[in-house]
Amino acid sequence: MITFVARRLGYAIPVLIGVTIVVFLTVKIIPGDPVALLAGPGATPVQISALRDRLGLGGSLPDQYWHWFSHAIQGQLGLSTAKQQPVAGMVWSAFGNTLILAAYAAVIAIVLGLVLGGLGALYPRSIIGKITSALSAISISAPQYSLAIVLIIYLAVNTGWFPVSGMYSTNGGGFVDLLEHGFLPAITAGLVPAGVIARIFRSALLDVLAMDFVEALRARGFSRRRVLVHAIHNTVPSLLTIAGLQLGYLLGGVVFVETIFSWPGLGLLVYQSISARDLPVIQAGVLVSAVAFVVINIVVDSLHALVDSRVRVS
Amino acid sequence: MTQIFRLRGDAAGEALAEVTEAANLETVPVPRAAADVPRRRHARRWSLYITGFLAIALILLAIIGPFIVGDPNTGTVTARLKGVGASGHLLGTDGQGRDMLTRLVAGARPSMISGVVPVLVAAVIGSTLGVFAGLSGRVVHAIIMRALDVLYAFPAVLLAIAIAAALGPGTKNAIISLSVVLIPPIARIAETETARLRDMDFMEAARASGANRASIALRQVLPNIGPALVVYCTAAVGLCLVYAGGLSFLGLGVAPPAPEWGSMLNDLRQYIFTNPTLALIPATVIGLASIIFNLLGDALRDALDVRKEARA
Amino acid sequence: MSAALSVTDLRTAFGGKRDPIRALQGVSFELNSGETLVLLGESGSGKSVTIRSIMRLYGKTTDIGGSVRLDGRELMTLPEGEMRKIRGRSIGLVPQDPTGALDPLRSIGSQLVEMLRANGMATSRSAAKARALELLDAVGIPDPKRVARSRPHQLSGGMRQRAVIAIAVSCEPAVLVADEPTTALDVTIQAQVLEIFLDLQRRLGMAMILVTHDVGVAEEVGGTIGVMYAGRLVEVGPAAAVLASPRHPYTRGLLESLPRPGIKRGELPVIAGRPPLTGERIPGCPFSPRCPLAQPECRIERPPLILVEENRLAACPIVGHAAGQDLREKVSA
Repeated sequence: MITFVARRLGYAIPVLIGVTIVVFLTVKIIPGDPVALLAGPGATPVQISALRDRLGLGGSLPDQYWHWFSHAIQGQLGLSTAKQQPVAGMVWSAFGNTLILAAYAAVIAIVLGLVLGGLGALYPRSIIGKITSALSAISISAPQYSLAIVLIIYLAVNTGWFPVSGMYSTNGGGFVDLLEHGFLPAITAGLVPAGVIARIFRSALLDVLAMDFVEALRARGFSRRRVLVHAIHNTVPSLLTIAGLQLGYLLGGVVFVETIFSWPGLGLLVYQSISARDLPVIQAGVLVSAVAFVVINIVVDSLHALVDSRVRVS
Repeated sequence: MTQIFRLRGDAAGEALAEVTEAANLETVPVPRAAADVPRRRHARRWSLYITGFLAIALILLAIIGPFIVGDPNTGTVTARLKGVGASGHLLGTDGQGRDMLTRLVAGARPSMISGVVPVLVAAVIGSTLGVFAGLSGRVVHAIIMRALDVLYAFPAVLLAIAIAAALGPGTKNAIISLSVVLIPPIARIAETETARLRDMDFMEAARASGANRASIALRQVLPNIGPALVVYCTAAVGLCLVYAGGLSFLGLGVAPPAPEWGSMLNDLRQYIFTNPTLALIPATVIGLASIIFNLLGDALRDALDVRKEARA
Repeated sequence: MSAALSVTDLRTAFGGKRDPIRALQGVSFELNSGETLVLLGESGSGKSVTIRSIMRLYGKTTDIGGSVRLDGRELMTLPEGEMRKIRGRSIGLVPQDPTGALDPLRSIGSQLVEMLRANGMATSRSAAKARALELLDAVGIPDPKRVARSRPHQLSGGMRQRAVIAIAVSCEPAVLVADEPTTALDVTIQAQVLEIFLDLQRRLGMAMILVTHDVGVAEEVGGTIGVMYAGRLVEVGPAAAVLASPRHPYTRGLLESLPRPGIKRGELPVIAGRPPLTGERIPGCPFSPRCPLAQPECRIERPPLILVEENRLAACPIVGHAAGQDLREKVSA
């Protein structure tokens, strides 16, 4: 088990390095000269090139990469051009908020997905089964932003049940306030993963229930409930397989959700930086998200290997 | 369940001797009610026809759309924000008095282009990469797959946003960005299927006959991995429509005032508290288009009998 | 003293009211403790359906008629909750594919422990664990502790089969049922596994039903053979006797079509026609379309099992001496 995790970690390192290269290059393809813009219209060429050197943007491409990379590793992600604050601080606090939202959405996605998928598997021909499979088909396709708008309209504007922006009320605070504010964004973010989980759980459960060992379990005199528990246990590997992907989807999709609901997370930060052409922040934001995604995948893969020992040998 | 041989009592004495070597009679699963099977197949074929028809209708709409409606950009301030069913405006008007229905139909083309072209581009590039990796030696294979893994390490949406943001707004840049995002999954499917085929006997026969890699790729591999690719790409169109709409929603795709479903949505967002139903319209349209292609992908998968892959 | 297992006119039909597939059309036999019945037949003959019907493992869409008495107690009318207690505890099943019969994610030991505790055979975990190790030893596993810790995929096919057998006998059932116990195994291991069955039977005094298509298994195990064809028993008798001198034309054809030393290829006799599909409807005697002895009457009325000589039943009036012996007797070996 330990060797498995170690192997995965070792494998992740070149990928992470590649990630930093991609992030670096992505910003490099932006047309125009950001340094000249930064220096202002009245700057002399000498001042511009001095600024360029100071920002580490002089020299060859590999040199620039190394300059940026070595600082990033130490947690120095530069200075935001728009706000003149250290990027690292901005990004970390925003990331924390995104994690909260992602966790909230994940809980909704898992609960909803397992319930819908389970009902769909156990009662395939009943009304419930048909409804749940239709729902999961729809929720997979629904664009998050569409959904967000629908939810806002019906659950907030018309009814006033839930707040539509921000993380806390201006004079509020505390856990319940957070839950209220987070409800709509979390459902919006979590609905598509819920649909995917429902689908996978349903098909995995049906597959398992058709397997020989379910009959063998019944022949051992186990109750329906016990057989079902074992069957569900056997769907966990399949679920974990897509869990990583779904979490990635969550991390990426929060951009829309945070923008619409004004949730102060990493997605909103990146969006605002796009409008403001604040390159260091965009860079740092994408980098942090990607690294988080890789780490999450390693954790999920390790859980998978823990549950299903067949995976460890490959 | 696999079937071994039947103990045939008919004339094939030789085959029979082979078969009965281990007194092996046959294993057949418990039969299920015969009535079920044709009904299910029937239903599957209908879903294929319906979704296929709808998808083609969407594509046609995209092609001829701008020709059959008026100018989507004219609007009078006096006519702004009329609701659904107003006279002369079946689906109402937006904040600048432009007719929604006209904009939706005219917007079909840029929306569908942003949804379909990246898939096509990624399909060509991705399957080439994947097949090449699948047929190559270990080193080349490893390099290609690891490079793709790096792209995979990004949440797809974020990567699309980052690239599109870097390149700037505009349809062309959105297409480039979405293509890059779609290449890794397509390449992976191509590589997996190619690797699966590589070990089969007919591939060895092709290699032994002296065919070079390119012709093997074209003649043997491509036709066999075709179904899996087609199924994924169809679903990918659904996904790409949503992503493209999202990019426009964030201001990164089609530039206003050109109509495009995503940017229409962004535009109408500000009126959510006063005229909520207006924003619903492009939202629903994007959702419907995406659902159609997703369901088409499912129907194709059933029809072409491709094994299910857990790709999301 | 009532028989351990008494099956009377067991009929099983799949698929509901409209067009049911009659997989079993009246199977009857009786088995005492310590006795073995080998159900021999091709696929579609109904042999696997028989044991699953006895254990009531089918769902609601399957209709089972007839009577099954376990030590005098009628099982067919039991409510499901009571039947559940019978399964595992009083009737043990060794399923066909050992790999498929085990939960792939859990260790052998934990599956054994669960079996013991769920069926009330052990009160504490430690008692269950100790018993599990004993059971693994009883089925001839050399290193019980290692196997108990292992998951199914870490073990060889033979080990898995032994583990499955251990689970099946763990509650010391009165009846042990095995479905194709040797099919998934290498030939070299088959004999060992059959020996385990016989050994356990001796020790626990179980009544045993072995379902197989392999005549070699019948030879090895002995006991009584029941040859099945088209959902019925067509011949029943002591194993050695049936194999040496089969009476029913189907049994004869079957045994003659097996390769033997000295017979060259091309000389092997063959039964004309093809075996019937599960539940296929055939008028009169189901074997008549392929039977070399068939008479016109055979197509009209289905022949019952009759005593054709001492200790031998066959469902064929032609081979039975028709001296008025139309007795529907059950045979005990």
